[in-house]
Amino acid sequence: MTERGPLLEVEGLRKFFSVKRGFPNPKTITVRALDGVSFAVREGEAFGLVGESGCGKSTAGRALMRLIEPDEGAVRFRGADVLALDRAALRTLRRKMQIVFQDPYASLNPKRLVGKALAEPMRVHGLAEGKALAERVRALLDEVGLPPEAAGRYPHEFSGGQRQRIGIARALSVEPELVVADEPVSALDVSIQAQVLLLLRGLQQKRGLSYLFVSHDLGVVRWFCQGVAVMYLGRIVERGPLPQMFDEPLHPYTQTLRAASPVPDPRARVTMARIEGEVPSASAPPPGCHFHPRCPHAMDRCRVEYPAWKELGQGRGVACHLFDR
Amino acid sequence: MSAMTGEPSAAPPPANRALRQFFTAFNTNKTSWVGLVTFAVVALVAVLAPVIATHDPLEQNILDKLQGPSAEFILGTDGFGRDIWSRLVYGARLSLWIGGVSILIAMVVGSLIGMVAGYFGGRLDIAIMQVMDVLLSFPSLILGLMVVAMMGPSVGNLIFAIALTAIPPFARIARAPTVSVKERDYIEACRALGYSHPRIMAVHILPNIFPEILVMGSLWLATAIRVEASLSFIGLGVRPPTPTWGGMIREGFENILDTWWLSMAPSVAILVIVFALNMIGDGLRDFVDPKLKGERGG
Amino acid sequence: MADAPALSVQGLTTEFRIGGRWHAAIRAIDFDLEKNETLALVGESGCGKSITALSILGLIPKAAGRIAAGRILFEGNDLAALDEEHMREIRGDRIAMIFQEPMTSLNPVLTIGFQVAEALRYHRGMGQAEARAHALEILEQVKIPSARQRLDDYPHQFSGGMRQRVMIAMALACKPQILLADEPTTALDVTIQAQVLLLLAELKQLYGMSMIFISHNLGVVATIADRVAVMYAGEIVEIAAVNDLFDRPTHPYTEALLRSIPRVDRTSDTLMAIPGQVPSINRMPQGCRYAPRCGFRQKICEQPPELAPVAGSAPTHQARCWVRAGAAS
Repeated sequence: MTERGPLLEVEGLRKFFSVKRGFPNPKTITVRALDGVSFAVREGEAFGLVGESGCGKSTAGRALMRLIEPDEGAVRFRGADVLALDRAALRTLRRKMQIVFQDPYASLNPKRLVGKALAEPMRVHGLAEGKALAERVRALLDEVGLPPEAAGRYPHEFSGGQRQRIGIARALSVEPELVVADEPVSALDVSIQAQVLLLLRGLQQKRGLSYLFVSHDLGVVRWFCQGVAVMYLGRIVERGPLPQMFDEPLHPYTQTLRAASPVPDPRARVTMARIEGEVPSASAPPPGCHFHPRCPHAMDRCRVEYPAWKELGQGRGVACHLFDR
Repeated sequence: MSAMTGEPSAAPPPANRALRQFFTAFNTNKTSWVGLVTFAVVALVAVLAPVIATHDPLEQNILDKLQGPSAEFILGTDGFGRDIWSRLVYGARLSLWIGGVSILIAMVVGSLIGMVAGYFGGRLDIAIMQVMDVLLSFPSLILGLMVVAMMGPSVGNLIFAIALTAIPPFARIARAPTVSVKERDYIEACRALGYSHPRIMAVHILPNIFPEILVMGSLWLATAIRVEASLSFIGLGVRPPTPTWGGMIREGFENILDTWWLSMAPSVAILVIVFALNMIGDGLRDFVDPKLKGERGG
Repeated sequence: MADAPALSVQGLTTEFRIGGRWHAAIRAIDFDLEKNETLALVGESGCGKSITALSILGLIPKAAGRIAAGRILFEGNDLAALDEEHMREIRGDRIAMIFQEPMTSLNPVLTIGFQVAEALRYHRGMGQAEARAHALEILEQVKIPSARQRLDDYPHQFSGGMRQRVMIAMALACKPQILLADEPTTALDVTIQAQVLLLLAELKQLYGMSMIFISHNLGVVATIADRVAVMYAGEIVEIAAVNDLFDRPTHPYTEALLRSIPRVDRTSDTLMAIPGQVPSINRMPQGCRYAPRCGFRQKICEQPPELAPVAGSAPTHQARCWVRAGAAS
């Protein structure tokens, strides 16, 4: 295994949204959707980004691709500075980083034939034409397990799982190296989830793809990914390799998340701890450590000071005062 | 591999599907058929005017003036002895031509403006829509009047005037769905795939907002015809002796009680076509209704 | 000495009209809900679990659907045969239901205090002040913080988890015998889900209720259920006490389902997907409905199997499979 630099490096990514709220005197509230997010994805690796709603994981996936323009931070793809690219260079880079969406019913243009939707990216980037193009479309469909006749149909003629496959095929059409998968199986039935997960993994092996796998489902992430970062209110609170992260979570939030994730084993229910509190709003994070109001180990320090990031070796890192003596 | 996924549901080819939906929509609103047939008949009459007209619409027969309907003059004659039927038929040509072209222009230009405003948003959007609002605040007749008064009454200017009044509504009707469609995941996918803005708008957004524009088009065609007739009625339309429905009504006004048929024929014609277009509009609205189709993204 | 069950569903068949013909969405559903028990109905979309619950409460829209056969015995009445007026008295009072989407299940223009009190005013004939006092009590029981101050707040001022608690409060206002919960935690974050599940379990104990919990998530089911009924294509294919079901999943579908779920507590490289798709309601196979996708399919599976006891397991453990359970003779 040649030790190269990581495929993707994200450092200190920040994205703020301004919202005007309130009547009759509207106040501008800043929502810190991403507040200093750093991680790396190695070549051929699937890296997970987990958290609950409002943690910023979807924003992170889009921001690194510049589908949303970040406000601060650095993104490097094979060493190249992504944020500094001009429009033409960005367009070329777009081939290398693709995205698969959560909602199979919204991710395909309902008015476009599947075959045209798959051919278009290749045509736009000058990858193929004419008969070669049609051949490639057929090959893509076959790769995701759909028959060639699918090219002549409209999205609404397919089930959710099939549409998801079409979305994956579309992303593959430009031969990307990194795929940002934003909850790709969350909207699918359980038995279809497995089909799509197996497909994604097969593609990872066959094409040497790397993934940024955004999900709220720890079980799926554990199976699919080699490493994971846990997000809370726009920040990463813990990062490390799998399965260690879920076998021995260090950050109290990771522990909470792990304990709350249901397991298909009735004897495991004894460990379901009492979990307090709500996920706070990203517009008004608690002072100090964001998690302290819900943390069973909260100390005085936690209410005042946000914990610094600590690298603990073996690829693990955490932002928690418990590890900061 | 295919066995794992099952077969996509067997479906008829796309053209047949659209046709079937069209029939479903129009069968739900049976009056739409009436509208469609009526409109087709009028359009046919207009196209075949030289064949269907019994006389030269400009030919004056002073001796036969102000006659009621007869065998020779199906709808009678006007104050200059001209055959009303022939004038009506040629007037249809003009009305449909002016109405059709102006609405076509308005549809293209207005939709483009609305789409651009909705797609880019921000200050461009605000600026464009404010201009549209200014135009909208003029009643269509007044606006048409102003243009014709300033530029003179010719067919071209009339078309321009009517198009101008119709552009803002089309801009509005194109902007709203653009704003919602552009948020959809599949548009984000287009951006992720590096498509240019014009491509996204033309290939991906336009087909999804086109149905609304089409419905609007059919309804505004009726309005355009009415505006043209109104302008002709007040004397700002196409100059006589060219027959226009509005002009014919005006001419008939002078002796409205004695020679009522002079104004009646063109009035009924306008009524019929406006009615027909509205009925078509009802059918089209159902045809494009996403709930009936069940396939609209999102 | 067994107590009479709180609810007894016998041979329930609900049909929907598709393309002019009636098709059974659920067929011959049999189960008893014991007192103080949580029975989980688990299956994927289209299996009929929600339709079962809606049928119990008579909420199937009359235009498109009907209960074609079966009895639903509750407190001496057959709910399937009861007229609308009597059903209305039962709904919200003796049997209550909570739904998946708290945003759309609460009326956005009415305060939560109003909505919770409404059930009390309608079913118990309470006056406004009394109903309001009761509503406050229940809202505190579902652990809405500062309930007194928030009685006059609107649904949009609450988070998803809180709204779900309000919905639970509404359902439990009249202390019903049975609670039907249709995927109540599916739309919630995982930590909030844990809180709500715990709350439901506690309230169930407190009120001595029985609960039918509908879910597609086997993990959630393992957490909360006493007994589990697995549904596929409109039928119950396996029913067992929760430990029995997870210890020895018998029906091939149950087994396949468990093997297709990635687990957070285990590292396993094998994930086995179930090939094919659920058959559509108007194209059901004649024999065993799962047979087309089943790896154990045999000739006899062309006949529709009945629920039969699973050999070597508790007598309450039944599966609908010729090969794995019961009289293939």
